[in-house]
Amino acid sequence: MAENNMPVAENVVTVNGLWKKYSKRADYAVQDVSFKVNAGEIVGILGHNGAGKSTTLKCLEGMLPFDKGNISICGYDIVAEPVKAKANMGFVTDDHAVFVKMTGIEYIDFMSDVYKVPQAIRQTRVDQLEKVFCLGDSIQNLISSYSHGMRQKICMMGSLIHSPKLWILDEPMTGLDPRTMRAVQDYMKYYASIGNAILFSSHALNTVAKICDRVVLIRKGKRVDELVMSEFADRADFDFEEYFLSNEGQD
Amino acid sequence: MKDRIDFRLLGALLRKNRREKTSDFRKGHFNAVGFVMRLMLTGALIAVFVIFFGKFLDMYTGIKTDNALAPQERLYELLSIVYGAILIALVLSGVSKINTSLFASDDMRVIAALPIGANTLYLSKIILIYLSQLAVACVTVLPTNITVAVHCEVTAAFYPLTVLTCLLLPLISVALSSILALPFHAVTAALKERFVVNFIVITLLTAALLFLYAYLLEVVKELLLGDQMRYFFNEKVMDAIEKTAAYIYPANLIADILLGRRLLVSSLSIVGILVVCTLVSFFAIRGLLMGSLQSKISGRSDFVRRPKGHARANSPFVAMLKKEFLLIFRTPSYMFSYFAVAVVVPLLVYFCMSVGSSLALKLIAVDSNLELAIFLTLLFGTLGNMFCSTNISREGLLFYSLKAMPLDYRHVVFSKVALCMVVTAVSQMLSAVLLAATGYVSAANAAFLFAIGVLFGFTQVCVATRVDFNHPHFSTEAGGEIQESGNTSSSVIVSGILLAFALGGALLLTKMYFSLRGLADAYAYLTYVISACFAVVSAAGAVAFLLVGLKDKYYRFGGGGAR
Repeated sequence: MAENNMPVAENVVTVNGLWKKYSKRADYAVQDVSFKVNAGEIVGILGHNGAGKSTTLKCLEGMLPFDKGNISICGYDIVAEPVKAKANMGFVTDDHAVFVKMTGIEYIDFMSDVYKVPQAIRQTRVDQLEKVFCLGDSIQNLISSYSHGMRQKICMMGSLIHSPKLWILDEPMTGLDPRTMRAVQDYMKYYASIGNAILFSSHALNTVAKICDRVVLIRKGKRVDELVMSEFADRADFDFEEYFLSNEGQD
Repeated sequence: MKDRIDFRLLGALLRKNRREKTSDFRKGHFNAVGFVMRLMLTGALIAVFVIFFGKFLDMYTGIKTDNALAPQERLYELLSIVYGAILIALVLSGVSKINTSLFASDDMRVIAALPIGANTLYLSKIILIYLSQLAVACVTVLPTNITVAVHCEVTAAFYPLTVLTCLLLPLISVALSSILALPFHAVTAALKERFVVNFIVITLLTAALLFLYAYLLEVVKELLLGDQMRYFFNEKVMDAIEKTAAYIYPANLIADILLGRRLLVSSLSIVGILVVCTLVSFFAIRGLLMGSLQSKISGRSDFVRRPKGHARANSPFVAMLKKEFLLIFRTPSYMFSYFAVAVVVPLLVYFCMSVGSSLALKLIAVDSNLELAIFLTLLFGTLGNMFCSTNISREGLLFYSLKAMPLDYRHVVFSKVALCMVVTAVSQMLSAVLLAATGYVSAANAAFLFAIGVLFGFTQVCVATRVDFNHPHFSTEAGGEIQESGNTSSSVIVSGILLAFALGGALLLTKMYFSLRGLADAYAYLTYVISACFAVVSAAGAVAFLLVGLKDKYYRFGGGGAR
């Protein structure tokens, strides 16, 4: 089981000096980015379109190779021990990529098989997640018939079926209805509160300000700032949106 | 508000389509090998048709009925039947094209939300279908009519009327297809998510077509071997042909006009048929189009699935295998190009064996059933295995998601190879059993045939998978279907055919050489030795080709052209 795999680790994620260049581009998409995510923390990655947020997350998930640097998940190096590292995380991609020729339940079973979730606890897990994502009877239908938001929900359910120590979400709120958006935010807070780590990218500044413990700001592939949100909680003069936009303007 | 046709928007939609059609040229993704192969194949088919049709025309127009020659009457019959066949083919492909472009095309999701009237949209789609049908009509009608002009006496009006025929046939076919598209759409919509029924229907239809093809081959074989051609067109057959030509509307009307017979009546009849079909199809399709637009926007399925609980827990490898099976089985085009083809390949082998075996015995007086069976098994096996050249590309962007899962690279790649091997083994086993059951090969030779077929299948699957892994072509649409992976599919089929001809040819020549010297029995073992060595060496080479550097390549994977 994924949750038993973790060696001694306060840091669930350690990204150290990450560099990534796409083959057909002259410049680096990610340049010397470093950050950590601890157990029980929600960390947001913010930046403009094309800043390098998704690329950073994809390197972290093992989707894309990178040129320099180290990434470890729960103490496992993503390059040296990819299977062990990936077994400790669940991910939701920005394009909500999902096997559309499967029904919702078949997809959940597939993810359960891949992450080796015992049969005995699958239904309990699905019931728990169903309370948050409310797919109802649609879980029996082919995913190709799902709306955008429903695909997002089944992706999230699949990514959580093995209760990963690290939950990575790329633009998770896109396409969700307000009720589900709130439910997801609440669930993210609950999930972190039971000792798991969450790393997500978003353009929804309100969500980021509301639920994040820390925010890593990326601009043009570089990490430019890191905010501990609790430090600003009592400051009436601090406007997060203003801060973000003014930072965006600096070149 | 009246839904008028907006010609400016119509032009924009047509330009959009032209740009999409030519995007491969502009992006440098043009499959040159595939294009040249298709061009050569079409050219070869036309050349063969022109030669045989010319000879047939000479023979057929020389047939006497009631002891009198009537070349114009014979020409009328022949043209009516040929145009009838072309029209049927155009109508069938037209039905499929209308359904694809109006109801299955993904661009409708975007277009449906734009301020474009249904009439304009309908017209743009129909014009595009007409143009593609026009190309098919030109490729079929022009060689037919040019051959007629060379071999028979025709008037000067025949040439401009040939051009008119090229324009008219697709017009009639589009009108008829539009009407038939309604019931076809109803059937395909009903079968859409009934995958097992879909599989059975497609396989049965393909098998039925094969039986028809085999029957024609049998007739040709009888005619060739028995020299019965001149006796085939007896009074009874000629009477049947005459009656068919008289009732094969509207193809016979076109033949009438071309040969300058009953000009006024035939022209008016064609115009009448066109007007009625166009009106009926316009209202029928427009109604369907509105429904399609709404369902495209809502994206909902009407199919009610029986609730199911969780499946039994599987290992990651089995889960991958199951996923691969579902992806193919639930995508009609994949299911046809793989499962249905794999099921009908044994029939193809058997039909060709039945013709080839007796032909070989008659022409070279050598019993070379095993050698021929190996050749046919490899040749048609290639047809099924070609599908494996999209093993990676088929996954699309989801391949990246698989990379993010805790799966060993061997699980990902080998699950694809394993499924292909299961299908190949079943197909090869059916071929071997069918040939053994019909007495073409002994049981022991059938087992040998199966082993050789599986080894060659394995070679092709490994090579195709690795080549696609090195040069994948992902669809840019989520869940988009891939029919071929750039040049990979063409290369795989060409190398498979070459391999079949190299080994099959070598075996047949060896057999002939020793048979002519009366040493066939003494050297019979050569067939086994040559094929076994060939199969084992190529399989070993293919495994090495698949595995060398695979781990590193998997980690470094960043291709597909979509990310």
